[in-house]
Amino acid sequence: MPDISGHQHPITQMIDEINHIFTDIGFSFEEGPEAETEHYNFDQLNVPKDHPSRDMQDTFWFKSKDVSEPTVLRTQTSPVQARFLESHGAPTKIIVPGKVFRNEATDATHEAQFYQLEGLHVDKGIHLGHLKGTLEYFFSKFFSGKTEVRFRPSFFPFVEPGVEVDMRLLEGDSKLAGKWIEVMGAGMVHPNVLRNSAVDPETYSGYAFGMGIDRLGVMKYGIEDIRDLYSGDLRFVNQF
Amino acid sequence: MKVNYVWLKDYVGDPLPDTGAVDRLLTEHAFEIDGVETVGNHAVLDVDVLPNRSSDCLCQRGIARELATILDTDLKYDPLAVTPHLETTDKIKVSIADPEACPRFTASLITGIEVKESPGWLKGRLESLGQRPINNVVDATNYVMYAIGQPLHAYDADLFPQVDGQWHFGVRFSVAGETVSLLAEGGANEERVIECRGDELLIVDESSNTPVGLAGVKGGQYAGVHAGTTNIIIEAAHFDPTITRKTARRLGIVIDASKRFENEPSRELPPYGQYEITKLIADIAGGTYEGTVDVFNEPKNNPAVTVRVAKTNALLGLDLSPSEITKLIARTGSTVEESAPGVLTCTGPWERTDLLIEEDFIEEVGRLYGLLNIVAIEPEKTTLSTVNTKQYYSEKIRQTLLAQGFSEVITSSFQKNDQIQLQNALANDKSYVRSSLHNNITAALDANFAHIDLLGIRTVQVFEIGTVFNKVNVEDTEGALGYKTEDGVSEHLSLAIGVRQKGNGYTPKDDTLLESACNALSTSLNTPFKWSIKQGVAEVNLSDVIAALPVPVVYDPAIKRKTTTFASMSQYPAIARDIALWVSSDFDAQRVAAILKDTAGGLCVRIDLFDEFEKEGRTSYAFRLVFQSRERTLTDGEVGGIMNTLNQVAEQNGWAVR
Repeated sequence: MPDISGHQHPITQMIDEINHIFTDIGFSFEEGPEAETEHYNFDQLNVPKDHPSRDMQDTFWFKSKDVSEPTVLRTQTSPVQARFLESHGAPTKIIVPGKVFRNEATDATHEAQFYQLEGLHVDKGIHLGHLKGTLEYFFSKFFSGKTEVRFRPSFFPFVEPGVEVDMRLLEGDSKLAGKWIEVMGAGMVHPNVLRNSAVDPETYSGYAFGMGIDRLGVMKYGIEDIRDLYSGDLRFVNQF
Repeated sequence: MKVNYVWLKDYVGDPLPDTGAVDRLLTEHAFEIDGVETVGNHAVLDVDVLPNRSSDCLCQRGIARELATILDTDLKYDPLAVTPHLETTDKIKVSIADPEACPRFTASLITGIEVKESPGWLKGRLESLGQRPINNVVDATNYVMYAIGQPLHAYDADLFPQVDGQWHFGVRFSVAGETVSLLAEGGANEERVIECRGDELLIVDESSNTPVGLAGVKGGQYAGVHAGTTNIIIEAAHFDPTITRKTARRLGIVIDASKRFENEPSRELPPYGQYEITKLIADIAGGTYEGTVDVFNEPKNNPAVTVRVAKTNALLGLDLSPSEITKLIARTGSTVEESAPGVLTCTGPWERTDLLIEEDFIEEVGRLYGLLNIVAIEPEKTTLSTVNTKQYYSEKIRQTLLAQGFSEVITSSFQKNDQIQLQNALANDKSYVRSSLHNNITAALDANFAHIDLLGIRTVQVFEIGTVFNKVNVEDTEGALGYKTEDGVSEHLSLAIGVRQKGNGYTPKDDTLLESACNALSTSLNTPFKWSIKQGVAEVNLSDVIAALPVPVVYDPAIKRKTTTFASMSQYPAIARDIALWVSSDFDAQRVAAILKDTAGGLCVRIDLFDEFEKEGRTSYAFRLVFQSRERTLTDGEVGGIMNTLNQVAEQNGWAVR
């Protein structure tokens, strides 16, 4: 029968759902600019000056005549960590869902623009166990079934120790159930990142995590080509 | 990086856990394994070495050391265990113009060798890592690099002119315009000539000031080893990783040697490389080792780092004793001393240039103890203090528009032409960032109108909420919720809604529908919107709208959303056909539709009732059927055949086809 009601885009559906899940455990929804300075996108996050990710091959840069300091289309939602810590200090408990950009060739699993979910929790006595518990809580709600999480060693400039996060859905008949799936990077906030934002790493510690919302959509809905998300095609959107 | 399982045994000893166990141990405690394959009779693991460990683990010995650390055993044989004693020679001289760019340069002279094919065991090992054997001298340099991570380069000493009985190497920055002729790339025969810009670090033959290689990036053709070579000079050095990386990236040269130099291996490593290669050359090419020159101006020692037991447990969420932590850190080859109760002074082994701060050592404790042992702490339910105004109102707007029949799209932030051009673009038609959503919404209306039958809609109605970028004067004030970098690029959230009722484009009737949606939004948010309406698309600065609204104190309750499983879309066009029937009161529309759909078969992807009226006890139903295949383009004849069958079935049911 004719379709009367419109359809909400899966990305904003997921963001709304993510927000409600995190709201219940005290995370506030924060945001930051998409045109971000090199200072917040890289420097404040302990990304070395000569790090490959700053190269033109990986990052979109604004022309210097248009900006008063080097500015990029943000490559991650992590600069909001630095901005929020700097303006609000610790303790801090935020999520940052938002659009990010990478200058890379596109295919079914890569887009030049996509959505990321950042999480940051800084307080006295925060450790990897809190990160694990929070992620298990989140995935269990988001995938509607008890989910466990495990860590493996990893490296990102803004965390130390850094971990790779795998999840496994323990219940239900979803295609995801029973398998370990690599979902994101995370870790304990690097002391340089805390210090750069005037938070004393001797008093406070915190965890941060970042994952692709597009990838969550691939897992949740079985989306095959993430470029469909940004095609404006209702044959895609109206399935949701 | 490829790791040969049998090669690992040279270092770790035998028995070694099987490849499956090695895979699991490395994955849990060090690096992900991208795969395990068999090359010839070698088992080869593809190890994804992390960036912070690329200084010491881009070699077989590095992975072996890692494995021994995880297994809590010592290496049976460790080429880095004892500082090598190398004879000196005064036959080679080295001049380094900038010691920071080249902190260390070593060169060895070996005379009377015989260039020939490498022995089978060596060729087999190189081949297992995907390397093509060339001759025993070149193979030996590669072998030592894969073994311990030190890149090496061999020169034919007789093709390298001497000055006053000495070979004279120099390391200096290039002069703009000078050229270097590089070794051919993987199997290619032509040399590659690079014209320098002035920022490349070069190795030169000081006798004639001729560049012989791009330091750290790639060796040159100059004085190359050939079948008749008898006397060789082997170079092993350390170059600044940033200079190396920049030159390599710019020239698009990513080879095993440059990858290692870029990742800052220890400055202590070059003599170990010389020791290993002189031994190997003696074995497989004979000759006499004459000695080594070692110019080492800038040593860099690993720092002594204070690691607190309390801090370690606090970050990892563990409760380890000082002696447990001491043992875990010592397993990495670090020296550990409990300098005060609960305080450890740790220094990483010389090859670990990554162990610089307390947290680096805490990470070692965590991964060796086992990250799988971290116990989850369940988060507590709390009341949220702040509601995100943008998210709150954006969601309200979405729900209002959905109820009005609008679907939400997210489109590209890039445009072919607009106000602000990026320095580097993905493609010509994506070199600007958007200043408005108007073009994208128009494009979405056009594109989707072609699919209305497939979508089962009569009108295309879409909206987008997204960031747009404008050029502003520095004096412009910052909107309450918009962001502005003080630099002339300002961004704000924009809302655009669009309507299309006719396939050939905008008609003024589209605006009537738009206005009704705009009114619904004003009512829902209880505020006026300053829309700009143009050609069936209305757009408004949403940051401004939201800034004027009251700050909400609580989110609306979560919407119960249906679980959707996405079905991929057919790439082939759809064909629509209508059928109108007079039906007696025994049948309702739903039943008629079900019978028609069943008869039409799998190619009928949807059926929609679009008209219905009653007259003299009969009802007229008009249906639109949409046909589409996943494998091919359907023909009119094929669909016509199905329609004929439908007509027959209608008659059998006593329905008159109108």
